[in-house]
Amino acid sequence: MTPNKSSSFRAALKQELPAWTQEGIVTEDAAQRITTLYELDKLSKESSSLLAAVIFTLGGLLLGGGVISFVAANWEAIPTFAKVVLLLVLLLAFHLGGYWLWHQKGWSRLGHALVFTGSLVFGANIGLMAQIFHVSGEWYGAFGAWALGSLVMAYAARSWITGLLALVTATTWFQGISHEHPSAWMMIVPLLFAALFLPLAWQLRSRVLYVASYAGITFMLCSFAAERYGSGKYVLITMIVGGFVAWAAGEFHRVKNLRPEFGNPTAALGILILGSSAYIWSFHWWWRDRGWASSSSDVASPTFYWAIPTLIIALIGLALVVLVIQQLNAAGERRLLIFGISVASAILILCALIGGANRGDMALLTISVNFAALIIAAVAIAIGIMDERRLAFWTGTLFTMLLILSRFLEYETSLLTKSAAFTLCGIAMIAAGIAYENHLRRKEAIV
Amino acid sequence: MKKATIFFLAAVVLQVLILLGVPARKAYTRATGRDVVLKVAPVDPYSILSGYYVILGYDISRPADFPNAPKFEPDEVIYAIVEQQAEGVWKPVAMERELPKNLPANRIAIRGRWNEWRINYGIEEFYIPEGKRDVIADDLRKNPTDARVDVKVDAQGNAALLRLRIQDRVYE
Repeated sequence: MTPNKSSSFRAALKQELPAWTQEGIVTEDAAQRITTLYELDKLSKESSSLLAAVIFTLGGLLLGGGVISFVAANWEAIPTFAKVVLLLVLLLAFHLGGYWLWHQKGWSRLGHALVFTGSLVFGANIGLMAQIFHVSGEWYGAFGAWALGSLVMAYAARSWITGLLALVTATTWFQGISHEHPSAWMMIVPLLFAALFLPLAWQLRSRVLYVASYAGITFMLCSFAAERYGSGKYVLITMIVGGFVAWAAGEFHRVKNLRPEFGNPTAALGILILGSSAYIWSFHWWWRDRGWASSSSDVASPTFYWAIPTLIIALIGLALVVLVIQQLNAAGERRLLIFGISVASAILILCALIGGANRGDMALLTISVNFAALIIAAVAIAIGIMDERRLAFWTGTLFTMLLILSRFLEYETSLLTKSAAFTLCGIAMIAAGIAYENHLRRKEAIV
Repeated sequence: MKKATIFFLAAVVLQVLILLGVPARKAYTRATGRDVVLKVAPVDPYSILSGYYVILGYDISRPADFPNAPKFEPDEVIYAIVEQQAEGVWKPVAMERELPKNLPANRIAIRGRWNEWRINYGIEEFYIPEGKRDVIADDLRKNPTDARVDVKVDAQGNAALLRLRIQDRVYE
């Protein structure tokens, strides 16, 4: 079973554990093992609430903004050299002050917030430095420099939120540079980012950064496919591959018990990407008009380059699936889910390839994509039932209803038919909800 | 000192170096370059301001203003040769593909790059403080032919923008 490592649960556990030991409910040895498993000795002395972290970060931001505004108000009166010194002092004050509070005074949340604010100030300072010296250049260059400084800081300070800042700025930089210089080798950059951000998230045990890295890298690959080749089929295939890999990675974490806390959110992201791609392409007019299928006329380079990184991540996804299946010798139901997602992904990729080549029957392609979307919805519902996860169950159910209702709204049907569809969907949802809640109650009663 | 602290300090040093690296070339040009005054081309009155900066064009920005302007490839580096005039302003006299050596004292080469519709010298964006934005924009609109910039040009031809002057008013 995956240990619940949320900070609120750990804080409550840490508070209760001495009393349990005293009452003889748990032995000293068991208490020690719980402390190790849940890393209770690493809990901060401060409040564990997210609110405290948010308030500290906002406070740091306001403080930084206040100082920068004060400097800006007197900007013209300050000599150039003094301006540069001021910016550097401000940067050092946030970083060194934050680190001191974090590691010397035990104020980890406040210190962490100040170090993060330091990296925000770093970004603002890049812009101000450019202004002071009237540096002309491409706007994305500043984001590249910001991303580099923030990423190294995220590793050095072990700060997930600074890592998130680096991811956002790196993605922005990539949007700019790939738009201005859409050369084929740029496709390698998202893979390089994967190699930089995923190990950071792994090291810091940050689910947010881990999931955001998958989302960011998929977004980069998709937007580059659109930019470079101007063709919807590459965007669709890249989205499917990105979603498939995220889902496979999530299952891998869960089944192999390697950073199991990464499993559910990463797999959920994968299903979300796959589901939303399938939903977008489930409308028949995509497969009727197919204006998206052809590449931009001004792009002459072979698509072979595009295929390499996409193929690499697809192979990584397949390798992860094989490893997961090997681990699941006895569990047939789980294998069925893996089979379902793999089949849905394959159908979507085939539809993109066939439809994108202006081949294939419109009705058959539309039905196939809708079928794949229904498989994805069914997998989400099945996960909700098997793992007792309400969010998965309801997402799957809502997705199914959305698909059905979209089809009724998409095609010319009579009001009476639409009314029947809405009513049946409503009844089906209520019935599914009652059945699911009863299922959960029965399971709880057995436990 | 702990390894983690050293690593953290190294990251702070890297951020400081990046920050100092942003204006490094301009600072070098400012420190070592020669003073040159360029005439600002009339600015489109409807798009003077772009965010916090004014986009400036010069009479060296248009290839048509050079007697020997060749055809360029996109992103091609060129050198504009300007000559000091009696009134202090430097005018375009020739264009070269290589950095010329042994230019006379009253001439200098400025390094630029052809961007498909004009030549950029890295001195086109003049940042202005928020309080002065409208003042400068109005001044440029009212006096479209009286604007000059003071720049420094180093031995490699790189230019750095120092200040904008409109008649006797100076903006830095």
